[in-house]
Amino acid sequence: MATVRPAEGDTFAQILEWNAENRGKLPAIREKHLGIWQTWTWSMVREEIRLLAHGLSDIGVKRGDKVAIIGDNRPRLYWSIVAAQAIGAVPVPMYQDAAAKEMQFVVDHAETRFAIAEDQEQVDKLMETMDLCESLEQIVYSDPRGMRNYTEDYIHSFDSLEERGRAHMQANPSFYNDEIAKSGSDDTAIFLYTSGTTGNPKGVVLTFKNLVSMGRMSVELEKLAEDEDTLAYLPLAWVGDNIFSIAQSYVAGFCVNCPESQATVLQDLREIGPTYFFAPPRIFENVLTTVHVRMEDAGRLKRGLFDRCMKLAKRVGVAKLNGHPVSMLDRFKYWLGGIFVYQPLKNALGFSRMRRVYTAGEAIGPDIFDFYRALGLNMKQLYGQTESTVFVTMQPDDEVYPDTVGIPCPGVEVKVDEATGEVLYRSSGVFKEYYRNPEATAEAKTDDGWVHTGDAGFFDTKKHLKIIDRAKDVGKLNDGAMFAPKYLENKLKFFPFIREVVTFGDQHEFVTAMISIDPDAVGNWAERNNVSYASYRELTSKETVYEIIRENLEQVNQELASDPAMASSQIHRFVLLHKELDADDGELTRTRKVRRRFVAERYKEVIDALYGGASEIHVEIETTFEDGRTGVSAGDLLIVDVPTVAAAPAKAAA
Amino acid sequence: MTMTQQDAAAEAVPASADGEGHLAEHDATVREAHRRAIGDVMLEVDNITLRFGGVKAITDVSFNIREHEIFAIIGPNGAGKTSMLNVINGFYHPQDGTITYKGNVRQRMRPYEVAMGGIARTFQNVALFRGMSTLDNMMAGRLTKMHGAAERAFDKSLADIPVVNFLTYPFFWTADFLMDAFYWGPYQKEEERHRRRVEEIIEFLEIVDIRRTPVGRLPYGLQKRVELGRALAMDPQLLLLDEPMAGMNVEEKEDMSRFIIDVNEEFGTTMALIEHDMGVVMDISDRVVVLNYGRKLGEGTPDVVQKNQDVIDAYLGVSHDRPG
Repeated sequence: MATVRPAEGDTFAQILEWNAENRGKLPAIREKHLGIWQTWTWSMVREEIRLLAHGLSDIGVKRGDKVAIIGDNRPRLYWSIVAAQAIGAVPVPMYQDAAAKEMQFVVDHAETRFAIAEDQEQVDKLMETMDLCESLEQIVYSDPRGMRNYTEDYIHSFDSLEERGRAHMQANPSFYNDEIAKSGSDDTAIFLYTSGTTGNPKGVVLTFKNLVSMGRMSVELEKLAEDEDTLAYLPLAWVGDNIFSIAQSYVAGFCVNCPESQATVLQDLREIGPTYFFAPPRIFENVLTTVHVRMEDAGRLKRGLFDRCMKLAKRVGVAKLNGHPVSMLDRFKYWLGGIFVYQPLKNALGFSRMRRVYTAGEAIGPDIFDFYRALGLNMKQLYGQTESTVFVTMQPDDEVYPDTVGIPCPGVEVKVDEATGEVLYRSSGVFKEYYRNPEATAEAKTDDGWVHTGDAGFFDTKKHLKIIDRAKDVGKLNDGAMFAPKYLENKLKFFPFIREVVTFGDQHEFVTAMISIDPDAVGNWAERNNVSYASYRELTSKETVYEIIRENLEQVNQELASDPAMASSQIHRFVLLHKELDADDGELTRTRKVRRRFVAERYKEVIDALYGGASEIHVEIETTFEDGRTGVSAGDLLIVDVPTVAAAPAKAAA
Repeated sequence: MTMTQQDAAAEAVPASADGEGHLAEHDATVREAHRRAIGDVMLEVDNITLRFGGVKAITDVSFNIREHEIFAIIGPNGAGKTSMLNVINGFYHPQDGTITYKGNVRQRMRPYEVAMGGIARTFQNVALFRGMSTLDNMMAGRLTKMHGAAERAFDKSLADIPVVNFLTYPFFWTADFLMDAFYWGPYQKEEERHRRRVEEIIEFLEIVDIRRTPVGRLPYGLQKRVELGRALAMDPQLLLLDEPMAGMNVEEKEDMSRFIIDVNEEFGTTMALIEHDMGVVMDISDRVVVLNYGRKLGEGTPDVVQKNQDVIDAYLGVSHDRPG
């Protein structure tokens, strides 16, 4: 077991010096080249970054200049970030899949003079923006493929940059050390542009203190050692990657592995076998689905073994991780299961060495969460934002619940505004400002350092924070109880038959739901149970389908009843829509988020019927087909009551 | 407020479209300026006639292929295009006419001898080893490049002394076989060298994610790409592509065209291809020859061929590729 040795230094360049001196021979970063993993040690990384820093200075990068960084997770781009910081410039990582126009906004807004791009694709986009942006002057590219024909004098290859760096270093041997001594913890480290669901992206300015203090805090809290391995596959422009692949890696001294390409992430995961892994729920969901699909195709013996063992694991594995007592017999069975199922399965997924697994970003389904914990993976949720440099709350090892995001991290203060229910926090990770946007800064940050998250939440009875919804979507039922639509919808969407759901309740007596079913899952079920149907609409009008959805809702109501804050939000009535909610009709955004207000207006008659007591309603809705033509989708919808559970304040069921 | 936003959006659209147009133009001119210069004649096809019994597949066809060019053979179904490739490839032996490859008039050659000479090909119907992985398929493509180290040493020093040759060859051959079987000594180096080249091609063709996948499981478009990769693994000087884009969707065709041009630019490989998609042919080839019923109808740059009335009548004028 390697030791936990947090490095010293205020900036990443300073920490790098410490690492090169104190653990110079340990691996710092890996990348697969021509099918073979290449490793750079900390002292090699220092040499690379030195050269780059000199090279950047030679092409004219000055203290305070902004340097755009665009591309996948490549060692050279990570080095570019630190090299720019070393000479006092500010790196501005960008999303690699951004269109030229989006790129142009960021380049313009950040007044970027230089750009470092991964390949021809990114260079082309930058050249396109160059015609429209005044600030951008020079471009450096890393991958020479297809670049032979670019002879413009403002385009440099990475190799030529290093060449110039070498010459510059010989001419100014003390330059690098002088420069890294000039920066301190209060200087700006990086601009991270938030993707922004509404309006233009905002440039979050983070200082070295933000990143380093949060990196140090998490390394100490989670005891991250120098022998950890992680896989860097999330975008460079995302705050998480800056924490996991730079701040934590530099402070703890562990090795970051860059996948060969976006398409090989799951294979690389298996080859590397990280000990420390972060992924949004979507990734865990995909992996789990793959496992299930493969098991469906397996022989009966294997499938039977898998099913039995997973059942045991859900009972025993989760209890073991939570520190509950487990009988000797169960321990023995779990050990056997480990040999035959869990270990081979984890090995096939690349999870066999994993000591810590985190997820964040969205709510994760309890089934998914339990699956991984049952395998003995210590999966935990955390909650944070770009503005907080990731960490606000995290689940401690022995208190992990699928529906909370844990307790405040050390050094982070969290409070819930009593009037609005909004979550606020204060910590050393709090961002400096939004770049060139003082109004937005003033709106988000109070004078005494508290930051508004825009999320509504509360501390439950176990003192854990529960995030329920965006604060602006939270309403009130007529009896004064809080109504958080997304919290309910997330609970419902974890059922396989439910694709989309919209709940209503703000300024109403009770909560109702409008549901569109998942045609694949329900269709599959219908096929297996000899239920014949010709169309989506016919499927939605089957009584048996209604019955299943009703049972799902009953189950949710029971869960809600056990939580005093949510007991009033039990769903009383629901309707199955005759069409899917669709982005082409403007009902969803392109990222599949429900556009609540628009839907409420469009389905006004349905909502009236839900609250009016009718048991059937005829609707006609104009729809847009994929080719842009429009038509009318009509249907008779059934409205069904759901039994509710009496909670503490006695309240009659509808 | 909304008005100004709309105005801004309306303005932004043509601006970005302009930008793209400019870029495409930039691409084309740069390509012209920076391509490897088209060199001397590499392969000369002279008055070739090929008969199967009483059927004349090819009658008196002549053309030449120059170094570094992309050369297209087009024509309606049954025009003799694939037969022509098979003749170049050494699979068929013409009754009349000669083929001169790199200055040497070629005698009756077997396909493997042609391959040794630096001519590789892909097939109209994918002809890969379906049960083997992408990597193994491509390593198989290196076969012509693999020579036993002992055999090589033997070739250098002793081969011209007849008696020694006769007596010692079995010994060297056995030594090679054993070292290869045990992956020993120089063989490890040799294998590494080949693997490195194959990996370079894998990266070039952007198929890193399917390196270990059995090719039978890959979608058709990717199988075609693997086949191209296997042909490239031979480091060919002349690459024959038999309908590289048959059965592909538009996106796959664009990808494939891009790879063909890239291979031509980066490796300098000369290419002769058969293709039915006229858009693709006219876009990527330097010169085109048109066959019909085994005879040559015309030859020249895409522009010239497109204007040739015989060609229009025989091929382009009749809509073969648009059913209905």
